[in-house]
Amino acid sequence: MLLLVLLASVVVVLFKGALPAIEHFGAKFLVTSEWRVNEVERPLRDAVGKIQFDADGEQIIETIPQAFGALPTMYGTAVSSSLALLFAVPLALGSALFLVRLAPKFKLAAPIGFLIEFLASIPSIAYGVWGLFVLAPFLQSHIGPFVRDLLLDVPGLRWMFFETVTIAGQTSEREIPMVGRSMLCAGLVLAIMILPIITSVSRDVLRAVPRTQVEGSLALGATWWQSSWMMLKYARSGLFGAVMLGLARAAGETMAVAMVIGNANAINPSPFSPGQTMASLLANEFNDPGEKLHRPSLMYVALILLVMSLTFNIVARWLVVGKKQ
Amino acid sequence: MTGSAYNSYTRIVSFVAAALCTIFAFGIVAVLCLVVFYLFGKGASALSWQFFTELPGTDPQNPKGMRHALEGTLIMVSLAAAVGVPLGILVGVYLSEYSSEKFLPTTVRFVADVLAGVPSIVVGILGYELLVVPMGTNSGYAGAAALAFIMIPIVARTTEEMLKLVPKSYREGSLALGATKSQTILKVVLPAATGSIVTGVLLAIARAAGETAPLLFTALSSQYLTRDPSQPFPSLTVQIYNYATGPFQGQRTLAWAGILVLISLFFVLSLAVRWLTRRAVIKMV
Repeated sequence: MLLLVLLASVVVVLFKGALPAIEHFGAKFLVTSEWRVNEVERPLRDAVGKIQFDADGEQIIETIPQAFGALPTMYGTAVSSSLALLFAVPLALGSALFLVRLAPKFKLAAPIGFLIEFLASIPSIAYGVWGLFVLAPFLQSHIGPFVRDLLLDVPGLRWMFFETVTIAGQTSEREIPMVGRSMLCAGLVLAIMILPIITSVSRDVLRAVPRTQVEGSLALGATWWQSSWMMLKYARSGLFGAVMLGLARAAGETMAVAMVIGNANAINPSPFSPGQTMASLLANEFNDPGEKLHRPSLMYVALILLVMSLTFNIVARWLVVGKKQ
Repeated sequence: MTGSAYNSYTRIVSFVAAALCTIFAFGIVAVLCLVVFYLFGKGASALSWQFFTELPGTDPQNPKGMRHALEGTLIMVSLAAAVGVPLGILVGVYLSEYSSEKFLPTTVRFVADVLAGVPSIVVGILGYELLVVPMGTNSGYAGAAALAFIMIPIVARTTEEMLKLVPKSYREGSLALGATKSQTILKVVLPAATGSIVTGVLLAIARAAGETAPLLFTALSSQYLTRDPSQPFPSLTVQIYNYATGPFQGQRTLAWAGILVLISLFFVLSLAVRWLTRRAVIKMV
């Protein structure tokens, strides 16, 4: 009962807080990318940029209203989490296989298992500080330029390093500066953070594969890898659940991301550009909101984040726990 | 392709795959150890006794210590544990011992899992709306409530898992001797699982002590030694965040020291948890 009340209160409070924004923006909130915290007053200009005056020679002032849209942060959450999974999943599955099928022979399963569980428990702020002071500068000075030199001549990858900008009506292409604190940096830090959890859950899932399955395939003459592949296939729904757990963690992670992603509320396609996730946006702006619709809009973002990570979690639990019973 | 060529090909594939898995595992451990050792090394050079005994002081460029934050985390986590642990254990006992009815326990278990998946920043916003706004100020109580919110599902689920490991014969023996259900739970089942429940509680406390995001909007932070939780309240994690993102070198140095203290705490807790689970399992078998 208590738990039901707690869960209901989360949903109700967020929904109530977000209501003004929901009423004002509706579903458009999900597909627009403007984020103007304060109303802007500026002289009205015509099409060629000339300031307009009224009959008395006074400047005409136009007011541009607040505008909020969650698209850049949803994009940021999706991309940073996907990057993290891209790096983490192959490594984690490989290590889980090692822990289940090779490590026991060398009496390594227990110590490595302990290390991985300890690493899973380290608070995110520690990874964030490391990412901010170690990984981001390293990306900026070494990895970024190295990758750029490596891939610059590969056709189709130019968007990673150049962007087109329009200044005063003129369109030009310019090089994206390596800033270190970027989408890529967030993806890497998240990958490091979710590696331990994906590894330890998939290790448990693989351990639950019946011995007879493995031994049967070995008896039929399968090599180590063929029988391992069979294990992976047998346990696929549980492994998928482990990945979803990692994804839920990456999508909801706040502090580490807020410290390394660069906090630019815009959609930049290059992984070397800064970005923003839903969680990092909340961490940065919730404490001193602007007027009127700013805080409701932030609550709206929180509501989207909640629904999304709950979906991931429910799917993951269902796959890991539900199928086992 | 002849039989023997196919055979050697699959063998090579298998060997390469096994080698890759081994390299991956050692690679992960190496990278993560590198991170942790770096944090340790950097923190060790920044740590001094002042860190534990002094307050930041009046010079923002060179804060002296984080005694207020250490005490703040201690007080806030204790408050959270005082609320969250008993409630969590109650829910866990209910799930494990009273789950003969079909529908409700399944729902409660599901809700507990869902609650455990609520992003911590969202918990912070909830605390802000429900406690900070009505009270009119950021406070240690709001921070403690947010942390308790995070602890309850963890404690509940581990308690349930641990109680399920207690052999059925214990309960049947106690009931056969004429004990009531509540006596059985209090005097037989819970004592048998105490060690492992303590483990779950330790894990939950560790998790709460390491959380930053739920405290940002609830407890906020403070530069002063305060023991009044109805005021904005300092905590180790938020202080580290503020100093790490702050402009001054002196603040960053102190942030590194804070990280070292935090990680050491977690290392000791991990060891304790491992020792306790091993002992609990031996005791039960």
